Amino acid sequence: MKAPLIRLVNVSKVYGLGENQVQALQNVSLEIQPGEYCAIMGASGSGKSTAMNIIGCLDRPTTGDYYLQGENVARCSSAQLAHIRNQQIGFVFQQFHLLPQLTALENVMLPLVYAGVPPRERQQRARLALEQVGLGHRLHNKPNQLSGGQQQRVAIARAMVNQPALLLADEPTGALDSRTSQEVMDLFAELHQQGVTIVMVTHEADIARRAERIIWFRDGQVLHDHLRPDDVYQAIRAM
Amino acid sequence: MDIRESLSMALRTLAAHRLRSFLTVLGIVIGNAAVIAMVGVGQAAQRYTAEQLASLGTNVLFVVPGREDARRRGIEPPATLTWEDAQAIAAQVPTVRWVAAQINESALASYGNRTTPTAVTGTVPDFFRVQSFDLQQGRFFHELDVQRQGRVVVLGSDLAAKLFGDRSPIGERIRLRNLSFEVIGVLAPKGAFLGTNRDDAAYIPLTTMAYQLTGRRSPYGLTVAFISVSARDEASVSAAQFQITNLLRRRHKIVDEDDFYIRTQKEAVAIAGNITGVLTILLAATAGISLLVGGIGIMNIMLVSVTERTQEIGLRKAVGATEGDILQQFLLEAIVLAVAGGILGTAVGTLGLIGIGWVTPLQAQVSWEAVILAVGVSGTIGLVFGVAPAQRAAQLDPIVALRST
Repeated sequence: MKAPLIRLVNVSKVYGLGENQVQALQNVSLEIQPGEYCAIMGASGSGKSTAMNIIGCLDRPTTGDYYLQGENVARCSSAQLAHIRNQQIGFVFQQFHLLPQLTALENVMLPLVYAGVPPRERQQRARLALEQVGLGHRLHNKPNQLSGGQQQRVAIARAMVNQPALLLADEPTGALDSRTSQEVMDLFAELHQQGVTIVMVTHEADIARRAERIIWFRDGQVLHDHLRPDDVYQAIRAM
Repeated sequence: MDIRESLSMALRTLAAHRLRSFLTVLGIVIGNAAVIAMVGVGQAAQRYTAEQLASLGTNVLFVVPGREDARRRGIEPPATLTWEDAQAIAAQVPTVRWVAAQINESALASYGNRTTPTAVTGTVPDFFRVQSFDLQQGRFFHELDVQRQGRVVVLGSDLAAKLFGDRSPIGERIRLRNLSFEVIGVLAPKGAFLGTNRDDAAYIPLTTMAYQLTGRRSPYGLTVAFISVSARDEASVSAAQFQITNLLRRRHKIVDEDDFYIRTQKEAVAIAGNITGVLTILLAATAGISLLVGGIGIMNIMLVSVTERTQEIGLRKAVGATEGDILQQFLLEAIVLAVAGGILGTAVGTLGLIGIGWVTPLQAQVSWEAVILAVGVSGTIGLVFGVAPAQRAAQLDPIVALRST
């Protein structure tokens, strides 16, 4: 059996102190295999964002262990986490988070800068990544000269430029209209075809249906682990 | 991350916000310009006074009546320095070459219908040698003029121009306090000395001054304002000082405190140097404060900038920037701003100095020490005041940073 890419073991996350304590995650255990395409769903406050932050190494669990590619990252220092985010995880955000003063090419080069890749190679790889998302003709445009869909594609190129094991998307279509949303989803499907592991947080059932597995969070726990996309509407009705 | 990488990133960011960057460094620019200009002016003033004192003539000593600290005590002892003292110095002290006693008064000088107030100095022929005056035309007065209380006058070039315009005044008669004097010479321009214009002056024999113009007599004889003495050479200045002191003590029958004091030119230069040195420090300190304020301005704007760029910081952290990377980036931005401000301020200060050189006699120069100090201090200020904002940026939680909109 293949080793899981992501393995959460009894992960709990508590925010705040004393009476204001909020239990965001309660003993969550979860495995995601390499090459899977998962959607994480749940109401707001269900813990899906917290789970996403922990999986993305932006946050550490209060208790429990998190193995990423077999390595326990739950107790890594913040500098080590920064390195892991740089090398193994690509992020796509709802608000794109492109730096406005940089061109598309420079935005895509950013992870390579922090990876210490020499400038020439950086340029080549960033250009290649942008060509793959169909923006080879927009290398030197600033974000404000690009449409929302194009900006999100630049962000995806940036996420993929370091060839991470995991693509982590937080409401990737939240700021897009339905047509460009579908374009972005097509791009995700393409990446999935190429063997990239994708974990995507969304509250839109239509978007979640594009994944092959849906993980449903509720009250800080996993309600459904292996929900099939076809059953998503049924699950919503059952709520 | 590589420091050059951070540097180019900092430059990109600053260039993207040109106006803000400029306004941020304005405080540092002004502070630096002030330091450069003030130190330049201070040093120029120092040089200027030194030159002025040197223009008095070399190896000069001044014998001044009164006690050195009389002003501090508030009691002015009787002025007991007389022309006889001056003659005794000339006759008995072997290390002096020329001795010139003088009395200073102000009076109205008139020629025809022109009248002008001027400074009148009563003195002896040696005065022109001690103070190294040159003649433009005519002659100085002689020993004989002094003995006879001759009504002759040597004019400074400005006074001559005021009274006579372009005409030659030689042989004409002017009136000083309603006494008629024959003009026998006009001096070459000498320039101002510490604020007194020595060209707007009239020089008459000491005796004429004492017995005819002021009429002031004292029980001690013909008292004088001070005596300037020229020593034989530079090496004999201190010997002359010693010998004159002894001679005058004997003549004045002094047992405890002297009723005169002697200033050498070197001392005068040193005193003036002290005064202008303190002035320079004062100016530089004032300018330094504006530099400090400029630094606080940088910190202020950088803190605002960190708040504004929260998302950028979050994103950079998400794609792999460590706290150290972020710290380095923001620190570099602050330092680049401050150093750029320092260089710009140096340029402005230099221009200011050139301007000052045009409108005043101070030939101010940019001092390299001041430039290095100002730019170095600016960089340090950037570093010091950049730490707080940079730390705040580095410690931002990426989750919070990414969520903020």
